[in-house]
Amino acid sequence: MSNPSAIAFLLALAAAPLCAQAPLVGQATDVAPAAPGWNAQRAEHLLNRASFGARPAEIDFAVRTGQREFVRLLLQGFVEPAEPFFLDPPVRPDRRELAAMDEKQRRDALERFRRDEREMLFAYSGWWIEQMVEAEHPLREKLVLFWHGYFTSSMRDVKNAEAMIRQNELFRRHALGNFGELLRAVLRDPAMLEYLDNNQNRKDKPNENLARELMELFTLGVGNYSEQDIKEAARALTGWRTQGGNEALYAARQHDNGKKTILGRTGRFDADDLVDILLEQPACPRWVAGRLLEHFEGRKPSEERLTEYATLLKNSKYELAPFFEKLLLDERFYAPELVGERIAGPVEYMVGSVRRLGVAVPPSLLWLAAGQLGQRLFDPPNVKGWEGGEAWITTSTLLARGNMAGMLLGVVRLEDVLKDDAFDAGDEPGMMGGEMAGAPMDGAMGGDSMSSGEMSGAPKTPRKPEKKVDLGPELTAMKRLLGTVYYPRINLTARLSRTGRSTDGEIIDFLADELLPIALTDESRSALVEFLASERRALDCDDGRLLGAGVKAEGVLRRLAHLILSMPEAQVS
Amino acid sequence: MDRRTLLALGAFGAGTLLTSRAQGAVKLFASQALPAGRLARPLIVLQLSGGNDGLSTVVPYAEDAYHRARPSIAHTKDKLLVLDEYRGLHPELKRLRAAFDKGQLAIVEGVGYPKPNRSHFESYDIWHAADPRGRALGQGWIGRACEKACEGDTNPNLVVHVGANVPYALHSTKHPAATFVNPAAYRWAGGEHETDAYAKASGAMDDGAAAEKPVRREGESSVEFLRRVMNDGHSSSLAVRRAAARYQTPIEYPRNDALATSLRDVAALVNSDIGSRVLSLELGGFDTHTDQRNRHDNLMRQLDGALGAFLADLGRSERGQAAIVLVFSEFGRRVAENGSRGTDHGVAAPLFVLGQRIKGGLHGKHPSFDKLDAGDLAHTTDFRSVYATLIERCFGIKHEDVLGAKFALAPLA
Repeated sequence: MSNPSAIAFLLALAAAPLCAQAPLVGQATDVAPAAPGWNAQRAEHLLNRASFGARPAEIDFAVRTGQREFVRLLLQGFVEPAEPFFLDPPVRPDRRELAAMDEKQRRDALERFRRDEREMLFAYSGWWIEQMVEAEHPLREKLVLFWHGYFTSSMRDVKNAEAMIRQNELFRRHALGNFGELLRAVLRDPAMLEYLDNNQNRKDKPNENLARELMELFTLGVGNYSEQDIKEAARALTGWRTQGGNEALYAARQHDNGKKTILGRTGRFDADDLVDILLEQPACPRWVAGRLLEHFEGRKPSEERLTEYATLLKNSKYELAPFFEKLLLDERFYAPELVGERIAGPVEYMVGSVRRLGVAVPPSLLWLAAGQLGQRLFDPPNVKGWEGGEAWITTSTLLARGNMAGMLLGVVRLEDVLKDDAFDAGDEPGMMGGEMAGAPMDGAMGGDSMSSGEMSGAPKTPRKPEKKVDLGPELTAMKRLLGTVYYPRINLTARLSRTGRSTDGEIIDFLADELLPIALTDESRSALVEFLASERRALDCDDGRLLGAGVKAEGVLRRLAHLILSMPEAQVS
Repeated sequence: MDRRTLLALGAFGAGTLLTSRAQGAVKLFASQALPAGRLARPLIVLQLSGGNDGLSTVVPYAEDAYHRARPSIAHTKDKLLVLDEYRGLHPELKRLRAAFDKGQLAIVEGVGYPKPNRSHFESYDIWHAADPRGRALGQGWIGRACEKACEGDTNPNLVVHVGANVPYALHSTKHPAATFVNPAAYRWAGGEHETDAYAKASGAMDDGAAAEKPVRREGESSVEFLRRVMNDGHSSSLAVRRAAARYQTPIEYPRNDALATSLRDVAALVNSDIGSRVLSLELGGFDTHTDQRNRHDNLMRQLDGALGAFLADLGRSERGQAAIVLVFSEFGRRVAENGSRGTDHGVAAPLFVLGQRIKGGLHGKHPSFDKLDAGDLAHTTDFRSVYATLIERCFGIKHEDVLGAKFALAPLA
């Protein structure tokens, strides 16, 4: 089975929000028999890791296609990639133009330019997220995201949207290609040259920033080079700089052509020689393999596996496709102690939730939401990118993940999240109120009916005048998207009715199966059962009759889905 | 410790009763009983991330070598806030200068550690773990101190980080940090019934007892870990929002400044006592490889405004007065400027300790310019000497139990 158009058809079907339960078309039957042990659970695990979460139809397809063939499809992409983003970068007003302006005009022109830049990057971010949601080449997109954190650069420092976008395209071009070529390209990448100060790295005035991170984060890891190696490597990198912010050039006169001794070798090295030297180091394939394994498996590999995969990388001359082919077919990749143990990053959580819900969401909204959860694309916290793993999870980000899921479902509004009048400052004197009894949660939060995706009810008691909260540009943008563009086009009632699930237990198991990357635990399930039963009784429905309660049933189901996506089981991949 | 302080502790250290109709649960967090002689002094840790240039913070203006090494970025005496005939504070540190004069700012000079590491991340790890091997012990120094000093304390707000990324220093198997950026948004926004279910799924008990905070076991699954954080987050958010929303202070903090806003929230938690003993924050932007003067001057202005207001605010409660504030960075910067009017990664640097009841003034010894270590200032005080004092004063335990070895106590508090 390798009929791309059939797959495209299949994926397109699965992508339509209301068709998530559409029966599969039969093209996928002419496949090799499934490898022993290849089943839905394993397929879902693979799709959690190598894609952005699985829709039921995709799991089905993967099972029927067979593991080997499905991994092959993952490596090549399911369909021809979408049209590339059309980049029409705003033009910075040139010096002469600016000189002819008065102070105010100049300020306005530059402000307009900066705003256009931000909007361009915002548009691109949406396009990028869309590639993840559509998952036409999901493994590639998974790697674009990985490389963005590995060879990281930040718009905050680079201050050039075109350069950031070009860097992202570079990651996509090399995502599953050759690591050595990717590395070479990164050292000529305008955003990277700017981000790690190579513009300031000149003959006789070296700046070590790029050289240090090249060894520490990109190729070798700490302990495999000396401070002197960094100083010498910085000299080899002199001469590469940017022009106009988005073009790289080599200025021969600024290159230090003298002899350098790097990692035991001496010569008149330049940037390419330096890359050759680094790729030859035994530490390099170990470093790269270790980072990839840890990212995709969610934990550090054993010494034995690290050696095995580092050797493969070295022998294949840093080709990445064989690496992933081996990994995704590796029995140990599916070991029970790895399944469900990897914490999903914020982008993965948002994109995965959307895919599993089968709801159409403006991609920019997902970009903003992931930013609220600690992963703002194009704005990593530091040169190391995002730490990942457990570091994604704090008391705060875990609560916020639930809130973002609630917004997708239309049961949480931004105002609900930001409400800071839940505790009236005026109801008790003094700053240290002694024993703080009472202080109920805001009564307006408990609405039990819902229409057009909003919680009902108004504050019951007069409150102090609403404080004008400055939401900042991101939340303002989010609010605008939520208020004007977004309407959660889902119909959980219809979805459940179609599948014939109606009792509390059936409803919960069906939704949990759809919305969670792993099985629901008993602890979570019993809380959900209690919730659903009590909501159902409040509507005067017997068990099995909830779906007949119309708009109120849909409200209950969406709030149930909100809870499910807030559970611990929803945060892994 | 005087009697007045003890009485005050009695009042503030009492159990805090939190109720929530929505949660349907009552939680009682017993603050650690404090045996006589042990004063729970809240510890506030502010990290200046990226490597603050010590030589531009406490400037050795009388040193010729300093001016020679930095032709374009050196500060001259006439602009500095002169402390003595050798050194002066950065021109923007006006409020900190006033604190220094009142004995509320201690400057420890030449702080670092042997075999310095010039990588941001490795050096953070060494500072955060208080261990030259970095993360070998599996917990940060504050995490280990809490484990020794706060056994059985199940309050999720025991350790708080205000900011997005929890530093490794707080890493703990038993007392993970509660984290928030904006207290108002620190919540799970569901309706009342959903919130009940959320709490139940998190393992919160309905019978009034605080859920036993599970110890992070070897081999704990990710889902178990997540459920524990979910439980902590749910109860922590109630207490934090309440304290922040009710907080009133006459102190004016700088406006539109993230550090000042966060420090105000920290003051709210310290002064209203929700059982937090460690509160942590981070200010980034100190990695000034290029155009240092401009960037560093702005950072110093921001730091001074926010810390100045915070220090005054702490003065308004007994707990606040007892608090100790540590301001540090992962390393200083190279003595000589680079080719881009900036500085590259260096080694030793001064750090600040602030508080109403500390021993202010100059501590330690300024590193010598005659004996540079590969172009960097060599340290004269081990940072663990500073930690040792903080561990003894803030946690009331022997520092060697946390640091694994004895260090000379820096006479700071």
